[in-house]
Amino acid sequence: MANIQGAGTKQNTYDAIVIGSGISGGWAAKELSEKGLKTLVLERGRDVKHGDYPTAMTESWEFPGRNKLPNAEVAKQEKQNRTGYTTHPASAHWFVNDLENPYSEDKRFDWMCGYHVGGRSLLWGRQSYRLSDLDFEANAKESVAVDWPIRYADIAPWYDYAERFAGISGNRDGLPHLPDGQFLPPMDMNCLEIDVRQRIAAKFDGRPMIIGRAANLTQPHNGRGSCQSRNRCIRGCPYGAYFSSNAATLPAAYATGNLTLRPFSIVNELIYDKARGRATGVRVIDAETNEVIEFHAKVIFCCASAVASTFILMNSKSDRFPNGFGNDSGELGHNLMDHHFKVGAAGISEEFKDRYYKGQRPNGIYIPRFRNLNKATARKDYLRGFGYQGSASRVDWARGIKELNMFGAGLKADLIAPGPWRFGIGSWGECLPYHANRVYLNSKLRDKWGQPTVTFDCGWKENELAMRKDMKASAIEMLEAAGLKEVAGFDDVVNSAPGNCIHEMGTARMGRDPKTSVLNKWNQVHTSPNVFVTDGACMTSGACVNPSLTYMALTARACDYAVSEMKKQNI
Amino acid sequence: MHHSHSESSAPQLITRREAIQRAALLLGVAISPSILAGALRAQPAAAGVVGKPLNLTAKEFSIVTAAAERILPRTDTPGATDVGVPAFIDLMVGGYMTADEQKMFKAGLAETEAASMKAHRAGFTALAPAQQDAVLKAIATASQKKGKSFFHQLRELTILGYFTSEPVGKNVLHYDPVPGKFQSDVPLAEVGNRSWTK
Repeated sequence: MANIQGAGTKQNTYDAIVIGSGISGGWAAKELSEKGLKTLVLERGRDVKHGDYPTAMTESWEFPGRNKLPNAEVAKQEKQNRTGYTTHPASAHWFVNDLENPYSEDKRFDWMCGYHVGGRSLLWGRQSYRLSDLDFEANAKESVAVDWPIRYADIAPWYDYAERFAGISGNRDGLPHLPDGQFLPPMDMNCLEIDVRQRIAAKFDGRPMIIGRAANLTQPHNGRGSCQSRNRCIRGCPYGAYFSSNAATLPAAYATGNLTLRPFSIVNELIYDKARGRATGVRVIDAETNEVIEFHAKVIFCCASAVASTFILMNSKSDRFPNGFGNDSGELGHNLMDHHFKVGAAGISEEFKDRYYKGQRPNGIYIPRFRNLNKATARKDYLRGFGYQGSASRVDWARGIKELNMFGAGLKADLIAPGPWRFGIGSWGECLPYHANRVYLNSKLRDKWGQPTVTFDCGWKENELAMRKDMKASAIEMLEAAGLKEVAGFDDVVNSAPGNCIHEMGTARMGRDPKTSVLNKWNQVHTSPNVFVTDGACMTSGACVNPSLTYMALTARACDYAVSEMKKQNI
Repeated sequence: MHHSHSESSAPQLITRREAIQRAALLLGVAISPSILAGALRAQPAAAGVVGKPLNLTAKEFSIVTAAAERILPRTDTPGATDVGVPAFIDLMVGGYMTADEQKMFKAGLAETEAASMKAHRAGFTALAPAQQDAVLKAIATASQKKGKSFFHQLRELTILGYFTSEPVGKNVLHYDPVPGKFQSDVPLAEVGNRSWTK
């Protein structure tokens, strides 16, 4: 590469480099800078300061096409549009232009990317659950993939630590496989949710329905305001009432005086010093000027998201690592996981016609996993399990669209009033880590900056498809038992393509053995001790719960370890 | 458990600035000017039809106007025309519909006119409301078995355009842009049997 700026210069040298500013990168920035390290955060997209959320207070009538985007805009985001909810006029600016950020698919993979400071921490679903030893022990007990190198006791104090800072609202439910945390007060269930919970409890053992545990504040917390029940979180919250890098970790990192954040900085590869046996820095492409710049540091945290961190490692080839950085095992890019979902049931209630609620609660109910917990709940047709997320609400005016024969004054009056109560649940299922499910470099297709791109080759297999049958049948069974009417199941397996749940995991997994894993029990690259990967790439299995809280805890834990190792001069 | 509910009607003319600052005061949280500026940087409002429609012919626009008003007519609350539904539909026919969707919609308008001529020897806009309803109901019935039809399009755009409009969002539905703490159980009568504006 010609004209490399900054090679070896003092001004481009920091104690620590963090790649990415989303959930994991924000935590790494906070922890490392609070521990006194001069920390450089490299973010490939534009800067977004807390509050710089252009649609946060925009009403539907202020969008020219209301809830629709013009075709010319949709055409730039055809892949990002696959979720059905991300590229709304209120949020499309948080998702990438697919034409500028191409990728390839041997099989359909829906890769949702947010390239800006804060990344997908601005856009996440905020459901926050702990993994348990049911999850950490599963691979070993079932001889699937490799064993996690940690157990619940290793991460539990770091869950405490992450929850106390982030602010997670929830109830202490006392379930061993869904451990309680350091919760702010729970949100309330509405009348139909309470009714359904009681009816399910009366008819099924071991299927408690709990209020969702969400990173939405139910009281002011660490200088951030409490939730205003607008349910417009995906636009960015002016009150800082849900956890994001922009509202929480990055301001904390800035407050130390040790943070430098450089937007428009695409990390292209890690620089490896063969003689010293370690990475010495990163090579960056300035997204605006195309200038290539090197930055150096004693320790590097890869927090760019599972696939993006994996891309950087795969693209960092050297004599020592001809197959990608730290990839002696050959597992880099493999074992790609997501959760499979969009399967469940919904029904209508004829009761509570005179009851309503005030506000849009940005959270729902949760029915934790109840399969394969023990012998009594063991299934013969699949391994692992799933949880249900759902809610009850009164149906809005959109119900009027499909009733073709109703119109006139009666229709209008009916649609102005709330419709019947509807209760629906959808399940989030665990996907096993399969070596065959992978992402790999594509040198033929180059991006706007001349970099290789990635190709996905990933699909659900028998275990997931067998699980889906139970996910649908159990949802119907419970809703019918709860007395709901017009109960209908659904299973949209086509649109539950891998990636669509936006929980990519596993492509640089943790493990005990360098021969079969990329990272050790401290999220440290086995063969390059000053490089850590703490985003979803590190996951040895996926569990069935939303993963971001686990990234927060693992990142804080890895930062603590890295700094202690630096003090001992081991890094 | 029923929560007490102190506000019986939503603030009708609250500005975004007021809404943000009011909530901030309640919370005791400082909202800096830069945060406020970011939050207030709203999108421009939809352009209405002034004079000529953008994408429909004058005749098509008049049929859309009449048909939308029959689907959601003016009563003690505004009708589709009062809140700019025809202009919204005209906008959608442009850059928001695919070529096929546009073709289906325009053909549907022509068929509506033809059905009107056949039944009543007069154009759709010249019919009495009851006659317009009869023409539309015949089209609705014929569309029942179709997954997607002109009438599906017309209904969706009319209902969407109506319920996401400013007059309906602020004055017909129950408008409360910053509800505050979620209240899980409120008597429907307290909000006047109206849905919340989303």
